Amino acid sequence: MIVPLITEVTALIELEAALLDDCRYPEWLALFTEDCLYWAPVSPEMVSPREGPSHFRDDRQIMMVRTHRLANPRAFGAEPSPRTLHVISSVRIEEDRGEELLASSSQIMLEYRNRGRFEEDQRAFGSRVRHRLRRTPEGLRIAEKRIDLINAEGAFNAMAAPL
Amino acid sequence: MTTLLTSPRDLVRADAVHRSVYTDPAIFDLEMERIFGRAWLYLAHDSELPKPGDYVVRHMGTQGVILTRGKDGAVHAIFNRCSHRGATLCAFEKGSAPAGHQCPYHGWLFNPDGTLKGIPHPGGYDGVLDKSDLAITKVRTATYRGFIFGNLAGDAAGPLEDFLGHMKTSIDDLVDRSPTGQLEVGKYQLRHYYRANWKMTFENLNDTIHPGFAHSASVVSAKAVMAEVGAENVVPTVGMMLANGKPIQFFQNLDMVTVPGGHSYIGGHMGANYTPDTADAYTAALIAHHGPERAKEVLSVDRHLMLLYPSSFWHARYQTIRIMRPVRHDLTEMIGYTFRLVGAPEETHVNAIEYCTGANSAASPVIADDLEIYERCLEGNAYDAREWVPMARGLGEVREQDNARTRSPSTSEIYIRNQFAAWAAYMGAEA
Repeated sequence: MIVPLITEVTALIELEAALLDDCRYPEWLALFTEDCLYWAPVSPEMVSPREGPSHFRDDRQIMMVRTHRLANPRAFGAEPSPRTLHVISSVRIEEDRGEELLASSSQIMLEYRNRGRFEEDQRAFGSRVRHRLRRTPEGLRIAEKRIDLINAEGAFNAMAAPL
Repeated sequence: MTTLLTSPRDLVRADAVHRSVYTDPAIFDLEMERIFGRAWLYLAHDSELPKPGDYVVRHMGTQGVILTRGKDGAVHAIFNRCSHRGATLCAFEKGSAPAGHQCPYHGWLFNPDGTLKGIPHPGGYDGVLDKSDLAITKVRTATYRGFIFGNLAGDAAGPLEDFLGHMKTSIDDLVDRSPTGQLEVGKYQLRHYYRANWKMTFENLNDTIHPGFAHSASVVSAKAVMAEVGAENVVPTVGMMLANGKPIQFFQNLDMVTVPGGHSYIGGHMGANYTPDTADAYTAALIAHHGPERAKEVLSVDRHLMLLYPSSFWHARYQTIRIMRPVRHDLTEMIGYTFRLVGAPEETHVNAIEYCTGANSAASPVIADDLEIYERCLEGNAYDAREWVPMARGLGEVREQDNARTRSPSTSEIYIRNQFAAWAAYMGAEA
């Protein structure tokens, strides 16, 4: 059976988010290419992370440190651990360049850390997410995940969980 | 919660501070009046206002001010408040208003210096309104090497250069690193906030004991990744995390310098550096501007963060300035700015951007740990009968002292004692 491309792309984007929600970080990292970029800019106008600072500007090594740390019980910024839930909608293929293709989706991530502070303990992050996906012998892999938070220019409190 | 029944000076001892300074809203209000209303506060860089009419909005304590470049080329600072009904004039943080600032409510129009330029339906004010009475209050400004500071005390404040004192050398360190003597502010800023007192950042950023504990998880994780990818392949951001894992003896050997006014800095200790190509091109450009001897001198300065009390944090080597904005006693915003060394390879700015991201992003593993700790301190300082927070570490470990500065081991809490000496002086003076 031939799976339509949009189905394959949607499945990958949903899997990526589900692996984060389930804290299955090694499997999450395996979805990304060696030269990947995981990026949450401070403005939707930014075209490159070289233009200015970012909330997240991770290469594979930083993603490794970040996720290793989340699994470490002495990471105070992640103690107690964040629990997340991604809701994904409006997955679209924006452009197919052959070796790579660009997909976009609307995402809401709810994050909860039980610090005994009532509604302050739960936050919602809303983003337009763009995945640059590469066709590899192993299937589609993520070469870039760009997260344009709707409040990108705003100030954030500690963000331990990847978006 | 303590109320101010006693003088604020009584809240500070030589080796301890009363916990209410972090938790009492009344103390915060007094800080806004007596510290942020009297100190020179860094507001903006000249390059943010290139043309007449360009403006930025900044905070001085909890009050918003507009800085506008006038037609005469001078920068004017006024409160962001219409003198009619009190609405804020500027909704955006920066922009251009060559025709003046117009209030969105009734259209009152103001010049950059706050004078009233025009009002609608002037006939309604015939014989009852004196335009000169309705100028927006000006804020005194002064500039040091392109950095614009403001002071709410007006003529009662001393000169900016006296306030900066020895700390001018850390600003010089930043400007002198430019191969043209020019800096240009980066287009984008990075902000985080935390639900705790503003002083926590001042007391944490040059604390060299906490990284081995508060940041141990990122050190452990960075080491694990280094083992996997090889030490020679470690990227700068991971290198910065590893720098937090240095033994305490390293920091004991490093100097901390404290100066009157609550300011301080410690010696440089961050590992990350330019690539050989960037370093060569940069050094060549610097030599062309300064000559070989002066260029060598400029590059030999190695300082970590300069804490300019009470509102900004400067890192010359990484061309990053952070402004602290106190919002409430339990809410604080930090705003990070990078600067391009005009004439240097673009990679040097990329290096600054990388530092700023690691040092000021709420998503930085290091900052996330700090913010958690600040908030725990706010919560914990509301408990139990133990009212005094010690700041005694390194008391009596001074290495050298003169009128301008004191040199101590960087493990000392002398910089916190020095901040509270300034705090008590500001807070204790009634008028």
